[in-house]
Amino acid sequence: MATLTAEQVNQLATHFLDMGTEIDNYRQQQYDKLTADERDKMKDLVSKILDYSESLYTQSATLVMNDVQTSLITINGVTADIKTTYKTLQNVQKAINVAASVVRLGAAVMSQNPQTIAVSIGDLAQTWAA
Amino acid sequence: MKTQFCKTGLVLILFGLGISSCVNLKHVNEFSVSSLASLSKFEEIDYSFKQNCLENCLDKKIDSLVIKQISCNCATDEKADSVTLIIYQALKGYFDGLTHLSNNELTTYKMDALNSSLINEAGLDKTQVEACSNISKILLRAFADGYRQHKIKEYVVAANDPVRVLIHFLDFNLSFNLVGKLDVQKRRIGSYYFDLTKDSTISTIDKRKAVQEYYLQLDKIQVRQNELRTYSKALDKIAQGHQVLVDNIDKLSAKDIREQLTHYSSDIQNVVSEFNKIKK
Repeated sequence: MATLTAEQVNQLATHFLDMGTEIDNYRQQQYDKLTADERDKMKDLVSKILDYSESLYTQSATLVMNDVQTSLITINGVTADIKTTYKTLQNVQKAINVAASVVRLGAAVMSQNPQTIAVSIGDLAQTWAA
Repeated sequence: MKTQFCKTGLVLILFGLGISSCVNLKHVNEFSVSSLASLSKFEEIDYSFKQNCLENCLDKKIDSLVIKQISCNCATDEKADSVTLIIYQALKGYFDGLTHLSNNELTTYKMDALNSSLINEAGLDKTQVEACSNISKILLRAFADGYRQHKIKEYVVAANDPVRVLIHFLDFNLSFNLVGKLDVQKRRIGSYYFDLTKDSTISTIDKRKAVQEYYLQLDKIQVRQNELRTYSKALDKIAQGHQVLVDNIDKLSAKDIREQLTHYSSDIQNVVSEFNKIKK
């Protein structure tokens, strides 16, 4: 048996709502002509029809997953690619900063000052890790 | 003299290149920024399938005068919320990425640290360092922007179909299914309060209070429905704008595409203002 799509289930839910509305309108219009038992029965019927409608709207919302799976996979793939490109372009700035730290380290080595060398190494490590 | 002229010419060409690619992506960035902002309004919609289920469950308990602690089964509604959330998050992730990638700040590389190292530590001439640095900056920018533009074209085209499908179903869940559930709720309270007005054991004053309560509840439901429908308008504008971007992907620099996208950005912002007014 073919399964219903989310859109078909939504249409079904709306049909149930319309049906419930019509019956309830009738119940309200004919209220004084109906017996207490008839009113109760119609009220129960309307309530059940509205329950079905509500449940079908929810079912329809969950069935959407079947319709979006392929799109979700594609868009998440594109988003991952965008992030990679973004990171690549950001890395250019990182490379510039690393170059600056390397020059500073080179100058520190030339100065033969252990304290300056240590600071420069720390600075380079920090820039690299950023 | 001739060398100086060539250098200046090169710099001007590169500067032009840099500026033109920078301008080309500005409207793409503006469109994705406003799309992301309006898409994120989803997080301000303080209503869900689960909440609707809990409210109905409570109404039924009140209607049948049940005081016992009976738990409400809202598992399917929770699933409906999670499906809707997954779609929203996928769309948000894409527009967030597009916003970052199309931001011109991304390729505005800062050379100050390198310049100062070369001048102060390596002892190079300040004027020479700055001149080289400026040319490098322009070259880098032109190259990076060209690469960025090429990649954005590729991503926008690849994402268009899924964006269209996901926006359609996000809208479908909110403005068809959730709004549908609110329509059912409207009918339920209409029926409930009608019976109260017909109950001969209730005084006229109490019936009036019940009618007043009915209109307050009805108004609350309508505000929620308006909120969802306004969000739906924003989603529609995002999908239209994205389609315009794809249809004109090979003429990103053309004036009319810039104008069209600016128009969509402004439409989306108007819908956001409308949404904010409802929320007040």
